[in-house]
Amino acid sequence: MNKTILEMRSITKQFPGVKALDDVTLHVNEGEIHCIVGENGAGKSTLMKVLSGIHGPGTYSGDIVFQGEVKAFNGIRDSVNSGIVIINQELALFPDLTVYENVFVGHELVNNKFLVDWKKTREETKRYLDMVGLDVDIYDHVGTLGVGKQQLVEIAKALSQQVKVLILDEPTAALNEDDSKNLLNLLKELKKSGVTSIMISHKLKEVISIADSVTILRDGRVVARMEKDELDEQVIIKHMVGREIGNIFPKRPPYKGGDIVLETINLNSFDKTKGRYVVFNSNIKLHRGEVVGIAGLMGAGRTELALSIFGNSKKYKISGGVIVNDKRVDLNSPSSAIENGIAYVSEDRKRNGLILTETISENITLSALRKISRNGILNFSKQDEVAESYVGNLSIRTPSIHQRLRNLSGGNQQKVQIGKWLFTEPNILILDEPTRGIDVGSKFEIYTIINDLVAQGMSILMISSELPEILGMCDRIYVISEGVQTAEFTSEEATAEKIMAMATV
Amino acid sequence: MKKINPVLQYFLKIISMLRTNIRDYGMYIALVVIFGVFSIITGGLFLGPVNFTNLLNQTAYVAVLAVGMTLVIVTRQIDLSVGFLGAFLGAYIVVEVENAGASVGLALITALIITIVIGFIKGFLVAKVRVPSFVVTLAGMFIFKGMLLLKTNSTTIPATHEFFRIIGVNYLSSYQVGPFNLLALILGFLVIITLAVMSILRYRHDKKVGIKGNDLSMVISKLVFLTIIIGFITYTLAAYRGVSYLIFITIIVVIVYHFLTTKTVLGRRIYAVGGNPDAAELSGISVQRIIIFVFISMGVLTMIAGLMYVSMLRTANPNYGISWELYAIAATYIGGTSANGGVGKVINSFVGAIVIMSIQNGMKLAGFPSNIEPVVLGAVLLLAVIFDIYTRNVRSIDLVGVHYAKVKYNEEFALARNNYLEAKKALKVVDKEDNLKVLELEFELMKAQGQYNQIKDRIRSSKEEEFVNGV
Repeated sequence: MNKTILEMRSITKQFPGVKALDDVTLHVNEGEIHCIVGENGAGKSTLMKVLSGIHGPGTYSGDIVFQGEVKAFNGIRDSVNSGIVIINQELALFPDLTVYENVFVGHELVNNKFLVDWKKTREETKRYLDMVGLDVDIYDHVGTLGVGKQQLVEIAKALSQQVKVLILDEPTAALNEDDSKNLLNLLKELKKSGVTSIMISHKLKEVISIADSVTILRDGRVVARMEKDELDEQVIIKHMVGREIGNIFPKRPPYKGGDIVLETINLNSFDKTKGRYVVFNSNIKLHRGEVVGIAGLMGAGRTELALSIFGNSKKYKISGGVIVNDKRVDLNSPSSAIENGIAYVSEDRKRNGLILTETISENITLSALRKISRNGILNFSKQDEVAESYVGNLSIRTPSIHQRLRNLSGGNQQKVQIGKWLFTEPNILILDEPTRGIDVGSKFEIYTIINDLVAQGMSILMISSELPEILGMCDRIYVISEGVQTAEFTSEEATAEKIMAMATV
Repeated sequence: MKKINPVLQYFLKIISMLRTNIRDYGMYIALVVIFGVFSIITGGLFLGPVNFTNLLNQTAYVAVLAVGMTLVIVTRQIDLSVGFLGAFLGAYIVVEVENAGASVGLALITALIITIVIGFIKGFLVAKVRVPSFVVTLAGMFIFKGMLLLKTNSTTIPATHEFFRIIGVNYLSSYQVGPFNLLALILGFLVIITLAVMSILRYRHDKKVGIKGNDLSMVISKLVFLTIIIGFITYTLAAYRGVSYLIFITIIVVIVYHFLTTKTVLGRRIYAVGGNPDAAELSGISVQRIIIFVFISMGVLTMIAGLMYVSMLRTANPNYGISWELYAIAATYIGGTSANGGVGKVINSFVGAIVIMSIQNGMKLAGFPSNIEPVVLGAVLLLAVIFDIYTRNVRSIDLVGVHYAKVKYNEEFALARNNYLEAKKALKVVDKEDNLKVLELEFELMKAQGQYNQIKDRIRSSKEEEFVNGV
């Protein structure tokens, strides 16, 4: 039974500036379910991309040994032909094609050289759907099915490609409880018929219930490998977070208390495109001069919570209330949120925060053009004055305020984004992943800026995937898991282990 | 280090400026080339007072459409319906005045209301209902074509009212000074003075707040160049009959829209929406409202263009409106507006319209068969966009710095170049069977090439102040 099917030997993969994988070794036995766990950015997805050939040979060092042979997969097609199929979090289905067209797209059944055998395609599709226990009409368009059923179509597609090793990247992240249970049971069924599965997951309870063995990654290295009988949630969490929190966080005087400036009361957000609640009964409080952290894993609904408060109701149907400075407000657009003194520094500064084709001074003033204009006509000397003062105060390193944003480093772009929002004179600042993708030196500068703002009476809501940052900077912490608020800690109570446990409920 | 010869320095600076801002100046250079070629072919007739005035009159309606189209394309949309909408609105005004006996004022106001409502509907469908603008305006194209046929009853209707004659044919009246029209001279003079004052003020402001802009010598050179161009246009117009109402309206539209796009809050928001709609929305800008505004503005300009056209030809005709939108879109792209949104200048679209109409007018004047003209126009459009893509990522260059660097790194450069050539030669003569040797030499070549490129890059990116302040 314990025959090795797949081995990845000392895989090292370098991205510009970071080592994404450092001497990683993975060992998977035939017919088992192997789980890979780790924090965001630990290297799980990169490892699977190396395995499935998305990062081809030459971009990494180390060997992939599959069924006793060294393989160099060059692209997805190569790995699929050997029987390794990856199912990504973002499903690769065509919503406007039918179920049977989707199952055989890319490896169509053909009559002779070039005619598609649709009759056989439909028969085969039915057979594979039965195997995965999916009871839908094969003529249905995939886009009309729920996410859970779409996932099963993906698995049926994998089976039709004679899959030997099935890789699933967070398969249950978007599923509800019933669908998740269904999927896990299916994996157990497939195991009986000899299919090996590798599953990446954040949900430790799931992992423990299903895994035969687990590999734990942290910062691109393997920190532990555990077998079925040794699995223990606390131990796994310890391995996942086990890093010392250095003193990279500037000190600020302890929080003394103040009035509530922002409160949400049973705030719910229903995502119209995803068809489910992304924020569920959120009740958070933010006091004057306080830094409150929102912790949770990627996709837990943190950004959605921020956007719901910030009034981006285009995508969400929002119910419940938001109270700002003891006043119930109806935040139905970003401009009304800005008027109520709320600012939102986006996690994706390139897509949602800044206009890269424009200059620093144009970006900084964009959210408050009224302040630099009279009767709708812009005052450019005032615009330049404003830009100069923020470039100075936030120490943005640039040859000139007329530099276009795309020419700045990530850290400096982030400071421009913060400057842009400070210019709206908010008293509540929402920072979404304020230090993502920027170097350590700039991180420290941004933490210093946060402390300065708090000293001036600003209240800050900080979303972060980096636990050390949450622990090092926040006075109070809410933990969110799948849209639901699962815990609240003061900075004294909080530990990385406690947060991780509540984030992976 | 030896100081550089000031005359040489001046020319190096001019060329640096041209090369660094080639995207902005490319079109003007193209225009000068086109003007030159047609002048030679037609023996100077092309740039003569009569033809040049006619050229500008013919350009007017395309230029007005191109100005509106710039905003549409900057916000990542398109409007295919402006041709037939313009022709319809022109016909509407003519029919109301000539056949229904309405006053000119009433006809203009109702036409304005109609076009605003249509613009709102187009914008609403695009922004709120999220129908692609291509489809909305394609449908509009059919609808307005039909409305044009209905309004004119498929017949030609003469526009005899005095109002149409004034707009379409008349010139702003004024005294003659010798052979010259005084008003044209005054207008040209005012434009030159305004430009001079503005660029000097800009220079002083930049200097005061410490922005590194152009040198004074460059500012003055630019100004001299512009003065010559505007002076020439002024002279040509004044030598014929002065400024026509068509030209006057066009200039007003260009100035208003230039001001709107560069100096106002609304303008900034339009460009922000085009540059990054998601970021604009999260910055508190209502993307939907901006897009609706842009379509309404397009509608108003379409009405002006339609009025200009029927006035110029003194008739309303069911065959008007064909390809107007294509000329407007082409002018916008020739003017360097980006199809990816967020980038584009109203003034450049105006010049793009002149480029297009110059080709049309010049080829006719030179006696080319009229069937060739679309081929040439298409080729010019393609070349303009290819040029734009090719020059998208030009790095700034400082030839004065390069000059100093060439002197300073002369020996290193010669050495690196020599090594590179030697390595290349060595690889050529080596025995191809000797794999190990070939490999070794290829490695040597790569190394030499790398060093050669490094020194070339260092020279290429040198700046004047590195040398002047260092000495």
